[in-house]
Amino acid sequence: MKDTLRWSYAINAWNLRMDVFVRHEEQQRALKTLSVLGFDHVELASGMGGRWENLGTPEIILINHGSAEGLLAFLRRAGISGVSSWCWDPGQPAEETGYAFLMTRNPADHDAIVEAAKPFVDLLAAAGGDQLVVRPAGSAWMAPPLGDGDAGIVGSLWNRVGEVAAAAGVGVSLHYDCLQPFHTEEQLVSLLDATDPALVGLALDTAELTIGGIDPVAFYDAHHGRVAHVQLKDTRFQDAGQEYLTPGAEATMLKGGAGRRIERWFYELGTEGGLVDVEAFVASLRAHGYGGWVVVEGDKGGNATEVAMLNSWFLQRRLGVEKV
Amino acid sequence: MDHWRSNSPSGPIDQWRSRRTMTRFLRQVAAVGFDAIDTFDFRYWQILEQYGSVANYQEFVQEQGLERIVNTFHGVYYEPDRYAPEVPETHATIVEDFKVTMDRWSGIQLDNVIVMPGSRFYDDHGPTDDQLKHAADVWAKVGEVTQQYGVNLTCHHEHYAGIRNRRQIDTFYAYADPRYVKFFVDTAQHCIADVDPVDVYEAHHERVTGFHFKDTRNKDVNEDYKLFPDAEVSAVTTEKWFYEMGTAEGLVDFERMMRSVRDHGYEGWISVEHDKADKLGGDYAESTAISRWYAKNVLDGIYAGAGA
Repeated sequence: MKDTLRWSYAINAWNLRMDVFVRHEEQQRALKTLSVLGFDHVELASGMGGRWENLGTPEIILINHGSAEGLLAFLRRAGISGVSSWCWDPGQPAEETGYAFLMTRNPADHDAIVEAAKPFVDLLAAAGGDQLVVRPAGSAWMAPPLGDGDAGIVGSLWNRVGEVAAAAGVGVSLHYDCLQPFHTEEQLVSLLDATDPALVGLALDTAELTIGGIDPVAFYDAHHGRVAHVQLKDTRFQDAGQEYLTPGAEATMLKGGAGRRIERWFYELGTEGGLVDVEAFVASLRAHGYGGWVVVEGDKGGNATEVAMLNSWFLQRRLGVEKV
Repeated sequence: MDHWRSNSPSGPIDQWRSRRTMTRFLRQVAAVGFDAIDTFDFRYWQILEQYGSVANYQEFVQEQGLERIVNTFHGVYYEPDRYAPEVPETHATIVEDFKVTMDRWSGIQLDNVIVMPGSRFYDDHGPTDDQLKHAADVWAKVGEVTQQYGVNLTCHHEHYAGIRNRRQIDTFYAYADPRYVKFFVDTAQHCIADVDPVDVYEAHHERVTGFHFKDTRNKDVNEDYKLFPDAEVSAVTTEKWFYEMGTAEGLVDFERMMRSVRDHGYEGWISVEHDKADKLGGDYAESTAISRWYAKNVLDGIYAGAGA
């Protein structure tokens, strides 16, 4: 996209299951789709697919492409210039780490998390990426309510990861998702306050904040100095109250397994009934001179290709962003 | 081109289900960089129902970021006792049909009305020379009608149709008045029928008024053209005939095709078609994006003169 904002697209929308987005040809088709839609950078996402995560796990990427330069050459074949960012959840069990459930709220796990972050940081830096986007803490329903010291404990971990990343020239940003425990605006701010702004920023996800009951435009206006990364998507729903605390909320809430049985939470930009004022949010980014990446994300929102095409249409026709 | 399927809460649908689904379709086509659409003229009734008029529908198309509707494909089931280009007794009916058709579409300016110029022949011999001449005659009469509306009558040769091989095509056009009967090249359809699309274009380029660019991985080597109702849906050994441009193992040489189009100074529209793209797990949206990627990254440069 030709714009003062830097636009990227999240590739995770195609990776629905560990064995459906593994063939290089399938990945090339997704990358070509994004390229012709005007995106020239992508955001990678770690997963729990082990050896099948050849666009998500550092060691598997290296097995497939040899080096960061090999990965970039693969992307360039489709017209994608580079990697903007990489999403990583240290609490997501993976084969490579013995399916360890590392908990950021547990100080005993911090050394292991810092070590686990290094391969991501190193490969991201070598590929010219900007942000390691991390899940700050595991889902709220999996642990006791936050205590007084939790923000400090979690913040101290991400400061350590931030130091490692900064040494490699990469930033760390904490991604707000609607299931993690720093859920309210007050809790989120307490976590940010527990981190060093020079090392750790916020990855503001417009749909996730909205679901969590936080207005992304107002929050950005109030805290724009801490926002280092943006994920842009829409939603039609908010958490009705405490749905994020439902046991198994990943399935019971976000996949419609229980409660209100909402099977789809994330939508393309400009969706009918969308709760995110995307135009106002992007205007606010411009007004505050935001310099980070804006990653458009389809997430689990239907046909990944269709959603990407509709997102690009919105950028071109509603936000006035010209394609490359 | 009009072909499209997507998933919905009520299962697979096409874009004509509602104005909402049409909006999504048009926005996807616009987003990847296409400028216009083609449609089928049997959509006329849905257009009336949902948009009120053809002009209103084109306005709706433009609101989604596309310029216009370029071509409409006139799909008719040919029967020798009622409506068949090879049967002179039915010609009055055919000509009258097009007077009605052109009146229906007169609210917008089309480039082409596309027809299948010949009936189906499920046997070895196909149409006789006389039958080809009769077909050429009626399409010239129809072309006179369409040109009163500033629209070309142009002929599209399905691989399973009566005028499909090179001899039949050349004979048909030898009889057909070039003022009124134009040629619409479909790269994959010709390839399947063992007709080189570049060669046939070069032989008839002066009357070519449009293209369907799509690829195939298979020729008809089993006489599938004899299958009823048509080999596109009933072939036993080829479940999927059509692929988007740039597909692996594609039989169409698009780079050569584009060089020829450039060298002959063609300046009309080129339509991309994904006919039955959802076969074997394919996806219309993805095929649309991939074909536009190929056009942008491979063909545009050739047409601009960069290719040898």
